[in-house]
Amino acid sequence: MRSSLYGLFFMARNVLLVEGLRKVVPTAAGELVILDGIDLEINDGESVAIVGASGSGKTTLLGILAGLDTATSGLVKLMDSEISGMDEEARAVLRGQHVGFVFQSFQLLTSLTALENVMLPVELRGDALAQDQAVELLEKVGLADRLDHYPRQLSGGEQQRVAIARAFASRPTILFADEPTGNLDTANGEKIIDLLFDLNSEFGTTIVLVTHESRLADRCSRTIKLTAGKVDR
Amino acid sequence: MNFAFIRKLAQRDLKSGEVALLLISLVVAVGTVTSISLFVDRLHQALLAESASFLAADRQISSSRQIPEEFLLQAQARELDTSQTMVFSSMVFADDRNQLVSVKAVDSQYPLRGELIITDEPFLRGFPTDSVPQRGEIWLDSRLFPALAVELGDSIEVGLAELKITNVLVAEPDKGGSFFDLGPRVLMNLADVPSTDVVQPGSRLSYRLLLAGDDQQLDELKSELDLEPNYRWVSVAESSPRIGSALDRAESFLLLGGLLAVLLAGVAVALSAHRYATRHFDHVAILKTLGATPGQIFWGYLSILLLIGSFAISIGLLVGGGLHLLVIELLASLIPVELPAPGPRPFLLGAATGFICALSFAVPSFLHLRNVSPMRVIRRDLGVPSLSRAVSYGSAIVGSVFLMIWYTKSLFLTAWTLTGLISVIVVFGSIALFLLRGGRVVGMQARSGLKLALSGLQRRRNENTAQILIFGLAIMLLLILLLLRTALITEWRSQVPENAANHFVMNIASEEVKDIQALIDSNVGMGDMLYPMIRGRLESVNEIPAKQWAKQNRRYEYDRGPRITSERNLTWTAKQPDNNAIISGEWWEEETEDYLVSIEQEYAESFNFEVGTQLTFNIGGKVVSARVSNIRSLEWESMSPNFYVIFSPNVLKDFPSTYMTSFYLEKDQKLFLNKLLSEHPTITVIEIDALIEQVQKIVDQVSQAVELVLALVLASGCLVLVASIQSSRDSRLAEHALVRALGGTRRLVGTSLFSEFLILGFFAGVVATVGAEVTVALLQSQVFELGAEVHWWIWPVGPAVGALVISAVGMFGSRELVNSPPVNVLRGVS
Repeated sequence: MRSSLYGLFFMARNVLLVEGLRKVVPTAAGELVILDGIDLEINDGESVAIVGASGSGKTTLLGILAGLDTATSGLVKLMDSEISGMDEEARAVLRGQHVGFVFQSFQLLTSLTALENVMLPVELRGDALAQDQAVELLEKVGLADRLDHYPRQLSGGEQQRVAIARAFASRPTILFADEPTGNLDTANGEKIIDLLFDLNSEFGTTIVLVTHESRLADRCSRTIKLTAGKVDR
Repeated sequence: MNFAFIRKLAQRDLKSGEVALLLISLVVAVGTVTSISLFVDRLHQALLAESASFLAADRQISSSRQIPEEFLLQAQARELDTSQTMVFSSMVFADDRNQLVSVKAVDSQYPLRGELIITDEPFLRGFPTDSVPQRGEIWLDSRLFPALAVELGDSIEVGLAELKITNVLVAEPDKGGSFFDLGPRVLMNLADVPSTDVVQPGSRLSYRLLLAGDDQQLDELKSELDLEPNYRWVSVAESSPRIGSALDRAESFLLLGGLLAVLLAGVAVALSAHRYATRHFDHVAILKTLGATPGQIFWGYLSILLLIGSFAISIGLLVGGGLHLLVIELLASLIPVELPAPGPRPFLLGAATGFICALSFAVPSFLHLRNVSPMRVIRRDLGVPSLSRAVSYGSAIVGSVFLMIWYTKSLFLTAWTLTGLISVIVVFGSIALFLLRGGRVVGMQARSGLKLALSGLQRRRNENTAQILIFGLAIMLLLILLLLRTALITEWRSQVPENAANHFVMNIASEEVKDIQALIDSNVGMGDMLYPMIRGRLESVNEIPAKQWAKQNRRYEYDRGPRITSERNLTWTAKQPDNNAIISGEWWEEETEDYLVSIEQEYAESFNFEVGTQLTFNIGGKVVSARVSNIRSLEWESMSPNFYVIFSPNVLKDFPSTYMTSFYLEKDQKLFLNKLLSEHPTITVIEIDALIEQVQKIVDQVSQAVELVLALVLASGCLVLVASIQSSRDSRLAEHALVRALGGTRRLVGTSLFSEFLILGFFAGVVATVGAEVTVALLQSQVFELGAEVHWWIWPVGPAVGALVISAVGMFGSRELVNSPPVNVLRGVS
């Protein structure tokens, strides 16, 4: 287990490297440039908030950085692997090995229990069943007594806690979060933010999150602001 | 994704009802095919086993010539069982009484298959025996005992031989014979035939060599023997070709009907698979974010489909097994044999159908899941590229055509069925579109439930057209069956004149003619005269051999009719029969001594006979010639004895013959038959009215079995309706929730849904009624040669049935839509 202090005393390892990233999509009215020449680097252990107005391209950027989408041009390297040239099969494998996700709408599989949802990333890798680890994670997020409950039986805050537990189940190198508190009330949102960063400290994961909330952005070590598809310098 | 995970997902999907419709559709498809195939398979096996006994052997060699010794030796060399028989007509005498009988002479090995049934006293129930008449013995049909006034132990003369009566013959396995070979039977020993001296040059005899044993040895024997042209090789399939090929045809047609249920179930499978896949887009996107590769998604969901499919097939096979027992129950009285246990083939057919159905109709949607982008978890509005229509339709069409060819075993029938289906789709689809197009409205028209329904029909025009098509077809088929079931018998009956003869009497001996005529005249209101009848064949025409004449003169449109040298029933009379009209020539004078003949019109046309043509007939070895003096037409529906060939009295009056007649009896006059038969036990009475009732019963029972298949078709149609409601459920839910959020009441939504289904059902019924009337009119006029008529009663019934069925099924499938809370619109929850 690595501590985020580790990075203070040693050369910080580059987890994400982006050079000249462009994303252009065709529309009825012609080509639409969503991202226009993005350059950035994110090091191991950092927590980075991507902020910007609606339509600034932050969700698109997140998707490309996480390997969920592909850029029109430019270089994207995740963990030293150039994902910009990979097909979906290879990107899926990389995601399974290094990436965790937390989404605004929780995105739990409704036909699986809380425990089964948390075990899912490990099962997909074909690893031996890590039920104990999943139970431990659910205990950490305060849902030890809800293991066999389905998502429909959980509140929004509880579902997001399950999603966070799932995100850390595969011990990801980097965790991407898209508006993790967007669907939650203030009180629950606070709890989720605390939980996210507590687990991040414990596991030393790099965090990249998209958010509108200043309190969440303030908790991060760095903020990247996007305006009209470009990074504000 | 490992198997345990896949199994878990499949189990959860099954439990949650996500795949209920897909499951039920596959069960219907498999159950339909399995039940039909099981029933026909068991019947086929049973009748094949019975057929062997119809020959009294596995194979027969028959001829009008003596079977060569060489055939027998070759058969014995192959270790086949053999037996020889002879059949011929002869007079038998007992003191001063005599009778024309059919004699069968057998050796001690007879029969090789089946059983001889005898009894100790005439007209008593029989029992099987292993023996045959010994030398010097004879067994008689029950009827002959009173006819000849003899008892067991008495002797009778067959030709020059005197034989002792030792048993009463009840039944022999290979009785067979033509319809007119209804004379009483006697059984004697083959070794006694020479002593009878009845075998003379020109005698009409049938020699048979019966064979039984290993199929391969029999086939090799057939290829070795020099059979053509005088010896005929008869096998089980040939001896009962009608049974064998009728069963094959029945299976093809029943499976074709069942195929309709399978195809409709396939459509339901496709719709429900599409919905399943659509509802799993988000799941797949999540799995992909967690590291599932497109390959894993592909194999994982394919495995889920196979698991669910296997489960459905297992249930379907059980359901099919149960259904076929129901069919057997319905047809119990028509099945004369005990049905053996089924073979594996029907179950394999059912299982294969289920897999092909799942592969063709469901796999494209399931495979499409691999194309879901993981970005969808962040961008819910991100759509999934549409499944290629070429892939989904192509897969369905290939699967359907494959099943069609497999079931019908005929490319020809498949092509015609496809043509028919496409034509129906085009015609009905056009009618349906026309009906829906009327009353084009703008906006949702939420002022009233009815207007909301009409706008809904417009908005979902494509799927509604498909619904009208499917239900229209299913209801149409049921209506056709209903109409034909009663029409055939009723309309045929109506074309037969009132009081037309409903009883035929045959095998009347010449010395009985006066008595029987007197009996009929005094007891029956509408009786015909008695007609003499003798069998003969045409030998030459204008001194040209008959076959040669036929080659030169036969009209091609009669090519399928009887051959020119076929044996015919001949008669003679002085007077022109009542229901015969002269077309050309003239009827002869009553006292004429000329040798003249009258020919029926179609028979004359088919062989180009004219007035003045000289015809020579061979009757029992004797040759007679007569000149055609007239051509006449017949009224076949008069039910009087009708003859193609009638001679003037002089020609045949010295030939021994039997007589026939017909008469009409009311139901309360039936006791007359007892009196007639008790005084003349050797005659044969055919009760046409009982035959018609029997036919009606058969038609009714077979119709019930076919209706069962059509009920499955209708059930499949209901599945498609439910599936299509489900596939549009999300949009309907959002629509109705929005209407409610904006002030619409539950009643408005409920009325709108009910009205939509009612109108849909009504239109389907209209389409069905039009289709049924047109089809039945075509069938009646072109196939059954009956008059076409309009059946006014189905015009309200068809649309009413459609409206009732679709509104009931539709409302059942949409009940939660009525209750969808408006808040779901705000939350975007489905």
